[in-house]
Amino acid sequence: MTDRKSSTLEAATVSALARLLGYPPLDADTAARIAAGASNAVAAVRATATVPLFDAEPGNYLAELERLAGPGP
Amino acid sequence: MIDPQHATLVEAAAALARGELSSEALTQACLERAHRLNPALNCFLRIEDEAALAAARRADAARAAGHPLGVLHGVPIAVKDMFYDPARETSSGSEIRRGFHGPATATALARLKAAGAIVLGALNMTEFALGPTGHNPFYGACHNPWNPDHIAGGSSSGSGAAVAARIAFGTLGSDTGGSIRLPAAANGILGIKPTYGRVPRTGAMPLSWSIDHVGPLARTAADLARLLGVIAGHDPADPTSSRRAVPDYESQLGAGIRGLRLGVPQNFFFDDLEPAVGTVLEAALAALESAGAQRLAVNVPGAQHLTELGRTVVYTEAAALHGHWLRTRPEDYSPQVRARVATGVAIPAAAYAEALQLRALVLRRVCDEVFGACDVLVTPSLSIEVPTLAATDVGGSASMWSTIGRLLKCVAPFNYLGLPALSVPVGFTANGLPAALQLVGRPFAEATLLGVAAAYQRLAPWHECLPPVH
Repeated sequence: MTDRKSSTLEAATVSALARLLGYPPLDADTAARIAAGASNAVAAVRATATVPLFDAEPGNYLAELERLAGPGP
Repeated sequence: MIDPQHATLVEAAAALARGELSSEALTQACLERAHRLNPALNCFLRIEDEAALAAARRADAARAAGHPLGVLHGVPIAVKDMFYDPARETSSGSEIRRGFHGPATATALARLKAAGAIVLGALNMTEFALGPTGHNPFYGACHNPWNPDHIAGGSSSGSGAAVAARIAFGTLGSDTGGSIRLPAAANGILGIKPTYGRVPRTGAMPLSWSIDHVGPLARTAADLARLLGVIAGHDPADPTSSRRAVPDYESQLGAGIRGLRLGVPQNFFFDDLEPAVGTVLEAALAALESAGAQRLAVNVPGAQHLTELGRTVVYTEAAALHGHWLRTRPEDYSPQVRARVATGVAIPAAAYAEALQLRALVLRRVCDEVFGACDVLVTPSLSIEVPTLAATDVGGSASMWSTIGRLLKCVAPFNYLGLPALSVPVGFTANGLPAALQLVGRPFAEATLLGVAAAYQRLAPWHECLPPVH
C-alpha cells in the first residue's frame, strides 16, 4: 500500500499474497488486473465507511430487509 | 395445437389444463425447436429428450388420472446448468465441474418440478457464473436470437436465449451482479432478481453466499409471476431464506399503475447513456406516464460505490469457495475467470467485514431517500446497445473492459443492496437488438414490480415480437 490518499495495491504485493495462500505463480498481467480490481473495491469501502461501525449490529442483513419491507400479504 | 412460438407460459398451462393438448406433444415440439435452433444459438449444454418426454408422459398420466400436479403441470421449461440434480450432470459452465452430479436437487428446481414443470435440459452459462457476456471457452459462447453475432448476456446466457427463441416457456437463472437481468435485457424478455432471501439458494452453485440470488426469466410479467410464486418461500435447508409469506403475485398483476410514483435517478444511472438507448427508454417512461404513473426525480445515495462494495464481498467469498481449486487446478479455469475468483486474495479481511457491516446502513439510507420519495425506482437495465460477441471477447477490442463495465453498471448495484429488481423489454435500438428498463423496489416489493411490468406490457406488447431465428 502507498499513501493514504491514493492507495493502490501493487502487482508484486498481489503475487506475494497469492504465494502465501499457496496459489501457483500469477503472470504479471493477471497480478496487475487483480491489483486494480482489489484496489477499486477497497476504495469503495473506504469512501462509504464514513461513520463508526462499532455499534452496528453484526450480520443479520435478512432481518433488516424484512424490517424495511412494506406490510406483508 | 398450441404453438410454442406464440403461446406464453400461462397460456400453455391453461391449454394443457383444458386438455387441448398433451404435455408430451408440447414437450416434443419444444425439443424439436431446441434441436433445430441450438446449433446457431448454443443456448443448451444438454438437451435431455428422454428425461423430458418421460416426465411429460407422467404429467399426462397424472392429469388423466385426475391428479393435477400444480400451476406448471406439463409446461416445458429449462434451467441454467448450476442447479443440482443427482440424476443429471451439473457443470456450472466449467471444466472443473464437468460430469459433476450434485448431492440433492436444488430447492428451486425441486419446486418447479413439484409444480409439474417439464425440464427440457441444461442451459449454457458463463463459467462459474462469473461474467456478463455469455462467452464460455469450454462450451462455446451463447448467441443472441435477435442477432447471433451479439451477446446473449451473462451469466445466465442460455436462460435468456432459450426463452427469447421460444424454446422454453420459462427458465431458471441466478444473479450475483446482474446475471438474470442482463440476459433478460439482451434477449428482449423479462427477468427478476428477487429480494435477497426471497428464493432459497439450496442446491444452487454458490458464487457468493452473501450476494447470490435465484430467479426466473420469462416472456411476460404473468409468466414471471407464476414462476416466482412457485420458487419463492422459506426453505429450512437455507437459513438465509426469508420466512415472510409469499404473496399471490398473479392476482396483483391487473392493479394498474395510476398514481404510482416512478423515481428516475438524477445521479449515476443515466450518465453515459447511449443516445439510441435513451430514446427508447424515454418512450417507455412516457408510456407509463400515459397510464397514470407519476415521474419524479430522485437521488440514489452512494450509487457510484455500490457495485464495488458488492465486489468486495463477491471476490472474497468466491476466492474462499474456489481456494482449493485455485491451488490445485488453476489450469482448468479460463484465464479471465481465474483472475476474477483470485481477486479476493488481495482484498483485506477487514475490508470484506466492513463491506458486510456497511450493507444494512447503506440499505437503510437508500430506502429512506429513494423509497421515501417514490414507489419504484426506474433505471436502464443496459445503458448501451447490446454489443457484439467480438467486441466483448478477450482481446477483441481496445474498449472491451470499458464495455464490460458499462454492461454491469446499472444492474450490479442492487445485488449488494439485496433489493428486488426486474428487467422489462421496452423496444429495440437501431441495431435491431432489445433495450430494457430496470424496475427496482423496496425489499419484498416483487408484486409491485411485476404489476408495473404487466401494465407496461399491456401498453407496449414488445414480447409478441418474434426473433429472426427459425
